[in-house]
Amino acid sequence: MTTTTSTQRREVGSTEPAGPRKRARRSGDGVAGYLFLSPWIIGILLLTLGPMVTSLYLSFTDYDLFNPPQWIGLDNYQRMFDDARWLKSVRVTALYVALAVPIKLACALAVAMLLNNERRGRAFYRAAFYGPSLIGASVSLAIVWKAMFSDDAVVDQLLRAVGVNTGGWAGNPDFSLLMLVLLAAWQLGAPMVIFLAGLKQVPRELYEAAEVDGAGAWRRFRNITLPMISPVIFFNLLLETINAFQVFTSAYIVGGPNGQPAGTTLFYTIYLFDRGFGDYRMGYASAMAWMLLAGVGLVTLFLFRTARGWVYYSGDKR
Amino acid sequence: MHFLKRFITVAAVASLALTGAACGDDGGDSTESGPVTLRYSWWGNADRAAMMQKAIDLFQTKNPNIKITPSFQEYEAYWQKMATETAGNNAPDVFQMDFSYLREYADRNALNDLKKQEGDALKLDDLLEGLKGAGEVNGGLYGVPVGGNTWGYMYNPAVLAQAGVPEPKPGWTWNDYRASLARITQATKGKVHGAANYIGSYYNLELQLRQEGGLLYTEDGKIGFDKARLAKFFNEGRALVDAKAVLPIEKSVQIKPQHALELDLIASELGWDNFMARYAASTKAQLRLGPVPSDNPNSQGQYLKPAMLLSVSKKTKHAEASAKLISFMINDPEVGKIFGANRGLPATNAQRAAAQLEGPLATVAAYEEGLKDQLTKAPPAPPKGAGTLEQAFIRISEELQYGRISVDDAVNQFFTEVEETLES
Repeated sequence: MTTTTSTQRREVGSTEPAGPRKRARRSGDGVAGYLFLSPWIIGILLLTLGPMVTSLYLSFTDYDLFNPPQWIGLDNYQRMFDDARWLKSVRVTALYVALAVPIKLACALAVAMLLNNERRGRAFYRAAFYGPSLIGASVSLAIVWKAMFSDDAVVDQLLRAVGVNTGGWAGNPDFSLLMLVLLAAWQLGAPMVIFLAGLKQVPRELYEAAEVDGAGAWRRFRNITLPMISPVIFFNLLLETINAFQVFTSAYIVGGPNGQPAGTTLFYTIYLFDRGFGDYRMGYASAMAWMLLAGVGLVTLFLFRTARGWVYYSGDKR
Repeated sequence: MHFLKRFITVAAVASLALTGAACGDDGGDSTESGPVTLRYSWWGNADRAAMMQKAIDLFQTKNPNIKITPSFQEYEAYWQKMATETAGNNAPDVFQMDFSYLREYADRNALNDLKKQEGDALKLDDLLEGLKGAGEVNGGLYGVPVGGNTWGYMYNPAVLAQAGVPEPKPGWTWNDYRASLARITQATKGKVHGAANYIGSYYNLELQLRQEGGLLYTEDGKIGFDKARLAKFFNEGRALVDAKAVLPIEKSVQIKPQHALELDLIASELGWDNFMARYAASTKAQLRLGPVPSDNPNSQGQYLKPAMLLSVSKKTKHAEASAKLISFMINDPEVGKIFGANRGLPATNAQRAAAQLEGPLATVAAYEEGLKDQLTKAPPAPPKGAGTLEQAFIRISEELQYGRISVDDAVNQFFTEVEETLES
């Protein structure tokens, strides 16, 4: 804000260029700024960029941690496409993302709309729904989840009470992935809070006007709420998609390094971890990490492309 | 902006890389003067750590010139840490070694040859006969066993009696064993299964191979069986699944990390005999140990396996002090008393006598004593990549038991892994 006003003032007030003194003070500000940033900059150079560059290099090598890396060019990348387990891990992860993200977002939006109304104990409910996300990455939660979905445990008993007999999901290859999808959906706190903020921004007059015109609840949701919060939906969609690609903790606890049962929870990150730290194939694991980055990047790009068709910003001419 | 931030987070995850070790000094000489500090790492839980601390205190009292810095993790995390520390030229002086990793570390030049200290700082005369030479790789001595155990048949006699199945006697065959599984499962109407499917364990294949005079891995580190032999093994397990004679795989997977014998879901188990203690602690059943089934009347194929070894890092500056520590840990009777059978049944006669084994552990000790003359020579240390292959075996066998792949697929998948792992 201040910059714009000062520029404007200069343009209006005088044609004289900014003096050297002023410029010196400005670069002094810059130094101070960078000094304040330095912990972050040092952190990102040493802990993020450094390892990233190393990992990029290692992805072109055969490296087993003990012997110096041997340059093998693109071999690691080519080998992935012949690796049945790699292909499997891609399929498992893609299926998980395709299921978990829409389900989680739909639940988050539904809960946010419920909690958007004035009602008693609203603060309590918000906290209650947000709670699971706070402990989301915790190991104990995944253990409890697995126990709940075992033979004769809560879920099995409930399902049998309504006549559905699936046995425990934890040991059943047809249901194990769904179990993890539900775990993700249950942790809807973060997108829910963002949806809530978005819903607050929708002007009341729009609903009032629509009501006067005789629009029903569904109509109002379809034609006012959805378009008005579409930027928030898009934001949540991006975040959750990128997150879902990286699911690890819960899957590792439920399925271990082999993706039990029968490899149905062999997520990309699990396989990557197993290759690197189980089999000591760090070169291959690094190459896998870069493929993941490329894959997630492509999906993100694709989402940005589609966004033009369905995301509306206020002030848009559409 | 947030998107960018996220993107960077993803990138950070992508950078799994470990900065390879650039610098490092070569192992120094072993002349000791003045106090030295040794780093000592092992895998285990808090129980073992408490025992270890007692043993270390004792060692430091007896060797005031040597200080020990201990560290421990649980098994999987331990090997991740060892790998990175070794890569970073920062391995501890003395560390616990598993038989399946011994050759891997020795071949990669990460371990110190203990032959130089043998006899002086390192006394090995009291080792059990079956464990002598167990830590040798290509003529060098790279590990000293602290415990040993044997593959055995553990069973719940009450359930066997209820099902009218006779207790196992030497000379019973694999057919007898499989028939007993079906009988138990039928007699209890599936409440208790005869056992979990034995094709889930790589060591049951090894047992059968040894009974036939073969080996899991040959002396030169090649695979010791062919596709037809593996197909036979898998077919046996497939038939047990089809006959519903064994515990369904769904169940075994769900109850992990517990074992079906602990939960009284099965009546018997072929496994390492020192697990008796663990199983006996959770089940009310009075478990017994019996002979393993064999189709060869002259061989049961069992051997004394080094349960756990101690190795010295190649990079140590205190080779002699390290050897002293190992010698103390395997020979000192008081250490034997402290640990009991926590590290497997003690590897030396002195410690075995001092360990005062009781209950199920006494059963195990008596079992091994009774087998002494039938135990055959321990196999050579498995080749590099054996750990990976064992994992692949477990995984593939599991898919087979789920019925998601055929026996032929299972065999082919395993041999693909063999090619990839042992050839590289």
